[in-house]
Amino acid sequence: MRLFGGAEATADSEKRMAIEIEFGARSDVGCVRENNEDNYRVAPEINLFVLSDGMGGLASGEIASRLTVDTVVKHCGEAAANPSLRLVGARIDGASEASNRLASAIRLANEAVYGAAKQNGNDGRMGATLAAVRFQGERMTVAHVGDSRIYRLRGGNLEQLTRDHSFVAEQVHRGRMTAEEASSSALQSVLIRAIGIEADVDVDVNEELLVEGDTVLVCSDGLTRELSDEQIAGVLEESEDPQQAADSLVQLAKQAGGGDNVTVIVVRWAPKPAGTLARIGKWFRDSG
Amino acid sequence: MSKLVLKFENSVLKEVPVGTSEVSIGRSPENGLVIDNPAVSHYHARVFQEEGRLMLEDFGSLNGTFVNGQRVKMVTLKPGDSVMVGKHTIVVTESREASGGLVTWHGEARPAAPKINETVMLDTKARRDFLEQVAAGGESSQIAPARVKVATLVVRSGRTDRKEYALSDKLTVVGKSAMATVKLKGWFAPKAAAQISRREGNEYYLGAADKVPSVNGTPISHPTKLEAGDVIAVAGIEMEFVYRD
Repeated sequence: MRLFGGAEATADSEKRMAIEIEFGARSDVGCVRENNEDNYRVAPEINLFVLSDGMGGLASGEIASRLTVDTVVKHCGEAAANPSLRLVGARIDGASEASNRLASAIRLANEAVYGAAKQNGNDGRMGATLAAVRFQGERMTVAHVGDSRIYRLRGGNLEQLTRDHSFVAEQVHRGRMTAEEASSSALQSVLIRAIGIEADVDVDVNEELLVEGDTVLVCSDGLTRELSDEQIAGVLEESEDPQQAADSLVQLAKQAGGGDNVTVIVVRWAPKPAGTLARIGKWFRDSG
Repeated sequence: MSKLVLKFENSVLKEVPVGTSEVSIGRSPENGLVIDNPAVSHYHARVFQEEGRLMLEDFGSLNGTFVNGQRVKMVTLKPGDSVMVGKHTIVVTESREASGGLVTWHGEARPAAPKINETVMLDTKARRDFLEQVAAGGESSQIAPARVKVATLVVRSGRTDRKEYALSDKLTVVGKSAMATVKLKGWFAPKAAAQISRREGNEYYLGAADKVPSVNGTPISHPTKLEAGDVIAVAGIEMEFVYRD
């Protein structure tokens, strides 16, 4: 699916560029689980893509993840119509307005799920992960809580842009465990941060530059538990379009076992230069 | 309390209660529910409790395990479900009686098969203790230290608009575009040569854009964390990553 976003004017000699975002998404219950507790939303009119993986017994996971994605989309949508809408939580220094707004939306989602958990039974606990990207010109906001991930394929390299908020990932980061040990650890699904578990949440928000041809993947751990980075990169590179990539990734994950719900969103960013000068100035990559 | 009732062609052979531990099913005598029939694998399947639900898991048996006519790998069982193992049927029933069935079994006769990883949260106290350790343990603290050191790029060679750049933004771009903080001079300078992202704990990650930068002489292959003293080279310029008071 293609669509054109707003035109971005730049101060230098480039002409106005139309931003073109292509995306595809797929969510599947997998081969083992009874129900799908993953949820996702695509909101291309506000350049926002978000997914959430719910946790908690007795279908409360599904409630948590649905509430998470709906709250995030709603808040960002309301702010797009009304930019002076109050931000939830402290402003992040040095971050763009879009980044601050997404962080605000995520904090609001946390409040919503935390509040709903109390009414839901199941011992008052339900939670979810979150992974979201938002595009604004050549800047992409990357936000996550938990172990759902965001990757970028650039120049043939698959780069993981998020660090899992999990016990083992933190140990690896501190040099106390190797990545191999982490991937076979019995504790690898233990999270240290999630939506809805406490009254406040520390949102991990970062910004990345966009380069033409970037392919961004937002996924739940159901994908990365089954497929290697090499397999994922291969699919992203070889697929005709993001929807085909999303479908292939899910299918491969199921063939590999499908032990968990699997959800993927694939977004390709390819600005189309409108003016002659921009057509002459082509992007290219080389070392040094 | 659930019970597994083993039947063969409408005759009840035995009943096994399902308590908090699992009931393994198979031809081998070590199983909790032994079915002595060639169509049944030695270790065929198991029934266990998970979060208040009764679960059935097939161990990759030769002839498979069927619930209400469908071949399954792992499913939730409800009272009344009919499980077929070989030519035998196991009916799941709810029983009001206290435990103490016809068959007793003594814990695990074989190592339990690994359970599918459920995502769980570390409980609150453990999580807080862990995070405090992480914060106290080293340089990357989420709480800003009393004397703030500012990450800075100091240009050693090459043409840029300034000699030093404080990295205060979440995203710093090196290039010629309007978005660039480190502005490259020169007609052929790329719009975006490289980028630096400020992530949690005030950690700075250098990433490729139109060009692949090097850190201390080595081209990076993925977003790379910068340490004090690292020298970055890209698009004809060289910069040192330092902390200033």
